[in-house]
Amino acid sequence: MPYLIPKSVTEIAPAARSPWLDARQRFVRNRAALVSLVILMLIALTCLVGPWLSPHAYDDTDWNLMGIGPTWDHWHLFGTDELGRDLLVRTLIGGRISLTVGVLATLVSVSLGVAWGAVAGFVGGKVDAFMMRIVDILYAIPYLLIAIMMVTILGRDFYLVVLTISAFSWMDMARVVRGQTLSIKSKEYIEAARAIGVPTRRIIFSHVVPNLLGIVVIYTSITVPGVILTESVLSFLGLGVQEPMTSWGVLIHDGANVMESSPWMIWFPGAALTLTLYCANFLGDGMRDALDPKTR
Amino acid sequence: MKLLTLRFVLALTCAFIAPGLWAAQVPKGVELAAKQELMRSNGAEPETLDPALAESVGANQITRDMFEGLTATTSSGQTVPGVAVSWKQTNPTTWVFTLRKDAKFSNGEPITAEDFVYGWRRYLDPKTASPYATTLAPFILNGMEVAEGKMPLTDLGVKALSKDQLEVKTPFPVAFLLDLLSNTQFAPINKAVIDKFGKDWTKPGNMVGNGAYVMKEWRVNSAVVLEKNPQYWDAKSVQLNKVSYLPIEDSNADVKMFQSGETDYAYVLPPGSYEQFKKSHPADIKNGPMLGLRFYALNNKDPLLKDVRVRKALSMVIDRDTLASKVTADGQIPAYGVIVKGISGADVTAYDWAAWPMEKRVEEAKKLMAAAGVKPGAKLNFTYNTDQYHKKMAIFAASEWKTKLGLETEMENMEFKVLLKKRHDGEFQIARHGWVGDYNDATTFLTLVQCDSDANDNKNCNRKAEDLINQGNQALDPAKRKALLTSAAKLVMEDYPMIPLLQYTLPRLVKSYVGGYFESNPMDRFRSKDLYIIKH
Amino acid sequence: MWKYTLRRILATLPTLLTVITVCYLMLHLTPGGPFDSERKVSAAVLANLQAKYHLDLPLWQQYLYYLNNLLHGDLGASFRYADWSVNDLVAKALPVSLLIGGLSMLIAVFAGVVLGIWAALRQNSWLDHALMIFCNVGGSVPSFVIGPLLVTVFALWLKWLPSGGWNEGQWRFVVLPVALLAVINLSTVGRVMRGSLIEVLSSNFILAARAKGLPMSTIVLRHALRPALIPVVSVLGPLAISSITAAVVTETWFSLPGLGKLIVNGASNRDYTLVLGLVVLVTFVAVLLNLLVDLAYALLDPKIRY
Repeated sequence: MPYLIPKSVTEIAPAARSPWLDARQRFVRNRAALVSLVILMLIALTCLVGPWLSPHAYDDTDWNLMGIGPTWDHWHLFGTDELGRDLLVRTLIGGRISLTVGVLATLVSVSLGVAWGAVAGFVGGKVDAFMMRIVDILYAIPYLLIAIMMVTILGRDFYLVVLTISAFSWMDMARVVRGQTLSIKSKEYIEAARAIGVPTRRIIFSHVVPNLLGIVVIYTSITVPGVILTESVLSFLGLGVQEPMTSWGVLIHDGANVMESSPWMIWFPGAALTLTLYCANFLGDGMRDALDPKTR
Repeated sequence: MKLLTLRFVLALTCAFIAPGLWAAQVPKGVELAAKQELMRSNGAEPETLDPALAESVGANQITRDMFEGLTATTSSGQTVPGVAVSWKQTNPTTWVFTLRKDAKFSNGEPITAEDFVYGWRRYLDPKTASPYATTLAPFILNGMEVAEGKMPLTDLGVKALSKDQLEVKTPFPVAFLLDLLSNTQFAPINKAVIDKFGKDWTKPGNMVGNGAYVMKEWRVNSAVVLEKNPQYWDAKSVQLNKVSYLPIEDSNADVKMFQSGETDYAYVLPPGSYEQFKKSHPADIKNGPMLGLRFYALNNKDPLLKDVRVRKALSMVIDRDTLASKVTADGQIPAYGVIVKGISGADVTAYDWAAWPMEKRVEEAKKLMAAAGVKPGAKLNFTYNTDQYHKKMAIFAASEWKTKLGLETEMENMEFKVLLKKRHDGEFQIARHGWVGDYNDATTFLTLVQCDSDANDNKNCNRKAEDLINQGNQALDPAKRKALLTSAAKLVMEDYPMIPLLQYTLPRLVKSYVGGYFESNPMDRFRSKDLYIIKH
Repeated sequence: MWKYTLRRILATLPTLLTVITVCYLMLHLTPGGPFDSERKVSAAVLANLQAKYHLDLPLWQQYLYYLNNLLHGDLGASFRYADWSVNDLVAKALPVSLLIGGLSMLIAVFAGVVLGIWAALRQNSWLDHALMIFCNVGGSVPSFVIGPLLVTVFALWLKWLPSGGWNEGQWRFVVLPVALLAVINLSTVGRVMRGSLIEVLSSNFILAARAKGLPMSTIVLRHALRPALIPVVSVLGPLAISSITAAVVTETWFSLPGLGKLIVNGASNRDYTLVLGLVVLVTFVAVLLNLLVDLAYALLDPKIRY
């Protein structure tokens, strides 16, 4: 006799859900991550649009208003730096550079690092040894040397700064990913996939990489501040953005030098950077939690 | 900013001074502290403590404590007898020095004139490979030829006439010879020690000098510790028992260590902080003019700068008063010529337009630019080495050129060595430059604008000025020499080979309980022998 | 496992050779030489300096000469610091960096693991966010801001500690630099620990352990921690390497005679032998630490085999 399924059961069965929809729901439940996302978007928007609205250009010097604190006069809401340039505009312009560099350099170094580490960890053996030796070699070379060489040979483009920073940042990701891959490699579902004859490439990209997502997301959100801070060290050494263009790193570095006499010079860009990085961190953690299919 | 020029000039004209009067002159009534130890910050780690090889200011500070030449410079900037107790000039180019009988090396051996001969020959010997040899060599007879290996060492113009008589010959009358010889490159060296230890003679325990202090410890990148030398002829007037030199490179770390009491003497202040420290540490802040010039080198061969009118215009529109009082704000003096205030051998020169109001200067500059065919919107290229201070000045200059002449300046910063190379090779248009005098005479600055001079990156040449300088060097009468060099300076600057901006000063923090520090010392030569700790 | 270790140690040699060659070429291709200075150096002196340091030989000969010396353990004479050999300079800087870097790593690992575990167990609570804010200070505020802040508070206001200097490693001079580095490293360790533990806690075998009724502490310490530590250990390698060999900001700010400052100064001065000597040292350190990390993987996850 045919088993009669009550119509109500089929009616109340939920529609098919995609894992991405799940992830989004989980993400929204994480308050800190949601707030961080909103703040980050606001910061990005302000940095993009703000300079167009300001009466000052970022390189307008004013020798009579050097180093004054925040004031309503002349719309110097953040005060001026030691050359009389408006700090608010410079902070926003600096934000453009820092955020762009952060995003671009991170994209490059994450892509390279994940690919490198996953392949090395999964394939193992001689290939792994070779690839990791290259990473070892790059660790041992002093970055100042590389930076000077790259600037001398390739010139001082903005994209060069991105490239130079990416060149130093991908190795950590590669190592972390390789370690995780080694661990995943020995899991049962990989064994199973191999057993049924799935090609290696598909195993790596369809099974290994998605399971790496958690650690990659975390490490990416560790990379972003690292990249932005590396940019400031490079600028300090004369290898990054050129005057009068600026970045948060440069502003903070200049501000740290006069912290006692002109604290606003470090407070504003410092607050902007710290807020952005904190939000990036929380966002990263939130995304990791959201993308993990097993989060409670 | 204290102007002690008159006192300085008077002091220099006194050549004969009784021995011992100028060591740590503790004024009457000042009570000394029980612990006489000084912690001094000294900038970067010294590249060497061999007096013949020492090039940097920091290294020379330390060697000046460990070695003493025929003469010495006190902390008030005066030249006094050192190992030589008296001297006479037998003819314009020959001097005879009489050494004091009680001068000894730190190992007890007496110092003879032969030790000076050995030391000088070693300094200029190409085999010693001193990077500083050719700077001071031109003033001793055959010095340059010996340094370049063209003549044997024995041809150098120094000879021991007897155990305590030293004869020095110069190629032309050198009015500032006494000041020159106070450099420790001309100190006596104990040959036996060099023969015994070779390269390791500068390590603690091996080193033998004749100065007020001996090296106790040398912890690389950490500290150089000196102790009072009991064998020093003037040991009784040396107050400090121990001096530690700390190689603190970062100026912010430097002042923090001063503020927390780790050091008594901060070497250099972070840029832009002078005003702040003047308010917060009025008793400790020190400042005084130094024999140094900040300027911008102009590539005279560059297509845009070939025309003297363009160079003149660029120089005219920069408001050096605002630069000095607002931008750098640490007591520096505006400079309109290549000779700095306080130097002997020439007078300060200035352009006639220096006294004009700025509007007049800008108008004239615009006319010059138009006549030379340079339109607003033209691009300038400015190179400088990475440094907060230079950056600030450069941004000011760029904004002056933009607002007053409508020129766009592209700024390029780079590492110091890369900048040096570009300047030497002429691969620049406008470059930041600075020059500190090696000795107290105008020729050390004139070399910046002389024809075929290695220090001249502008690559300009004014033959008439060159002649005047040569004549001046041959002149026997100091007043005549001064007049000739001054006219030469004025003449060559009319070509606008470079843009002089400011004269260096020495803003520094020295605890008020450190006595013996004078702001009138334009060459930054502070022997620890002259300092003492007041009871506090 | 021992065969693997041996193979890795042997593999150091080609790595070392490659690194030296690459750095050597880069140094010589960088504009500016060790003897470029503002004052003119006479031609005879320059010739003598170059002969003294073998710079007048063709590049490949200098290279072989350097390698030959290296095999005998001689790292050469420093170009800039005329009184010291590179062996001297490196030997004096290494203990400083090891002490500061090593101590800070220990503190960062300990604190990071503990805080990370705590935060993971209270995921998404206020405590979690608070702990993460604390951990993330080092990752959000640049070191050249934390440094001055530490100095201003502890050395200038409270006057508890000196503001800089080394003084032969007396403990008072070690506290602030170690604190600075530890704070910076803490952020990475803490976050990775938290994220990794959260992931492990949601795996099936943990579910099984909970179903069995094991107390949480046993679950975490005995079962979850080991696999969770794998990413943490991965991160420790690069962190330790950079804390020991590249802590330039810390060393500059606190005037410490360490390796980071030495490398940067060496590169700026084009002191070829010093830079190469330091590169050799850094390579050894990097290889050793990476090897330890890889061996630790095997300890933590019995299924990882070499």
